[in-house]
Amino acid sequence: MAVIDDLTGELSRLPGIGRKTALRLTYYLLKRPPEEIQRLARVLEAVAEQVRPCSECGNLSEHDPCAFCANPRRDPSAICVVEEAADIGAIERTGQYHGRYHVLGGRLSPLEGINPEDLNIAALLRRLGNGSVVREVIVATNPSVEGEATALYLQKLIGPLGVRVTRLARGLPVGGDLEYADGVTIAEALAGRREL
Amino acid sequence: MSAVASSAAFRKLRLRNFRNFAELELSFPPAGVAVIGDNGTGKTNLLEALYYLEIFRSFRGAPDEQLVRFGEEVFHVRGVLDGAGSAREIEAAFERRSRRKRVAVNGAEPDRLGDALGGVGVVIFSPADMTLVAGAPGDRRRFLDIVLSLNRPGYLGALQRYRQILKHRNAMLRSGGSDALLAAWDEGLAEWGGRVVAWRAEWIAEIAPGFARRYAAIAGGQTARVAYASSVPLGDTPPGAEAAAEAFRAELARLGPRERERGMTLVGPHRDDLAILLQRDGGEAELRDFGSGGQQRTAAIALRMVEAETVRSARGREPVVLLDDVFAELDPGRSGRILELLEDEERGQVILTAPKESDLELRRGSLAHWRIEAGAVLT
Repeated sequence: MAVIDDLTGELSRLPGIGRKTALRLTYYLLKRPPEEIQRLARVLEAVAEQVRPCSECGNLSEHDPCAFCANPRRDPSAICVVEEAADIGAIERTGQYHGRYHVLGGRLSPLEGINPEDLNIAALLRRLGNGSVVREVIVATNPSVEGEATALYLQKLIGPLGVRVTRLARGLPVGGDLEYADGVTIAEALAGRREL
Repeated sequence: MSAVASSAAFRKLRLRNFRNFAELELSFPPAGVAVIGDNGTGKTNLLEALYYLEIFRSFRGAPDEQLVRFGEEVFHVRGVLDGAGSAREIEAAFERRSRRKRVAVNGAEPDRLGDALGGVGVVIFSPADMTLVAGAPGDRRRFLDIVLSLNRPGYLGALQRYRQILKHRNAMLRSGGSDALLAAWDEGLAEWGGRVVAWRAEWIAEIAPGFARRYAAIAGGQTARVAYASSVPLGDTPPGAEAAAEAFRAELARLGPRERERGMTLVGPHRDDLAILLQRDGGEAELRDFGSGGQQRTAAIALRMVEAETVRSARGREPVVLLDDVFAELDPGRSGRILELLEDEERGQVILTAPKESDLELRRGSLAHWRIEAGAVLT
């Protein structure tokens, strides 16, 4: 029983996985052919061994520098700052952005004791330092209260360096129904309305 | 009674293991009902259940665990309502062990609990309303926040955001972060706090004449008024959200050093109050400190009446009025004048409770009478 319990224990430490789901996943895996479980184990091992934060931007990658930092066709004059490496995928899928990235690895949250020194901010300032070609920093942190405060903090830090600092617009989701949007979102969209 | 067609009205209520009711099913007459019973039989619990469908919390501030009948695990409340031409069903259930609350409107669970708030359109008058006047500023802020959350779309979201930012900022002040770090929270605090302040100030300015008129009508000549007592200096007319945010920013800058010393945010809507002022020769006095019991009750009833007025104008229909033993401890003169006002203004469904028949002259005695005894209602 012990290894089965170990597996359930490990799975239940994943976000969004409770005790019950962990048990279900465990017994699902136990019913699969052994090769399939071994394949999963090898992938996990490879990820643990090879994936590291990029020393330039903090993106998670098996190469250092990562594919974005190493790609000469990516515009070096723009940096898009995101909270997590996973956010890069969301922006890439738009196909509208061709600059570089910077991953903070979280956002400011005094309640959880997350301070600027816990985030990848020093490396960002280094990228904007002497001889930098960066002309614009786009802050793409989440529109949560923590993400907004992080954006403002970065703006106060970066603004004086003479770099343009911009923020993603807030508003209604495209394809969303006005009737179903929450009050805060509608208020934001109203405040940020444009001339037609 | 001609206005009943455009009114909210309870048609049915079913309770299971709610407070002292094991199982209860009631069908309400469109005009309403008078529920008569001794103290401790469950009159207030019945109104608490009806009001639960409006805010999904106890109007008495009791935690949900306390609403589950003793020895049971889950309570259910289900109401069927008439209004705006169609029947609606609102239900709520709470499980003690998991502390899980489930809410459904016409069988569908809303994405957020906040989306289902205010589905009934109901105002409750209760002896506990004394705390609106005589209680601490926090009691009056709670009143403002509930009224505005139910009747001003966007208010609840802004308030929740403000509270979240406030918690972070206070943690920041306690841990002694840099000025730049504090400033990162100031902006959001001022922006969302400004909206909350503007909404509250605007609503109070809007209801102030109605409050004064009703207070004078009940008190027979004495006068009182309401005003928003803001910790941010606002001036005489209610400011817009931007002006309030601007004033808020200036106060934050001024108080910065003291806030660091104290380790908390000293200004903002979380420190404000609804001032209720008694006007008498030579000036004004806080009704909270200087009013008699009768004057305080009068002000509480006038506040509930302006709340009903707000529900009427915000939702375009007559609210259901719940009256929990409101004439207790009022002299006959005041009771009579309150009755007259209610008779005049509240044209929707009325569900009232009283310990004895003689207290029930509302609607000229035309309401159906039910007796309530230890968790059972005899209709």
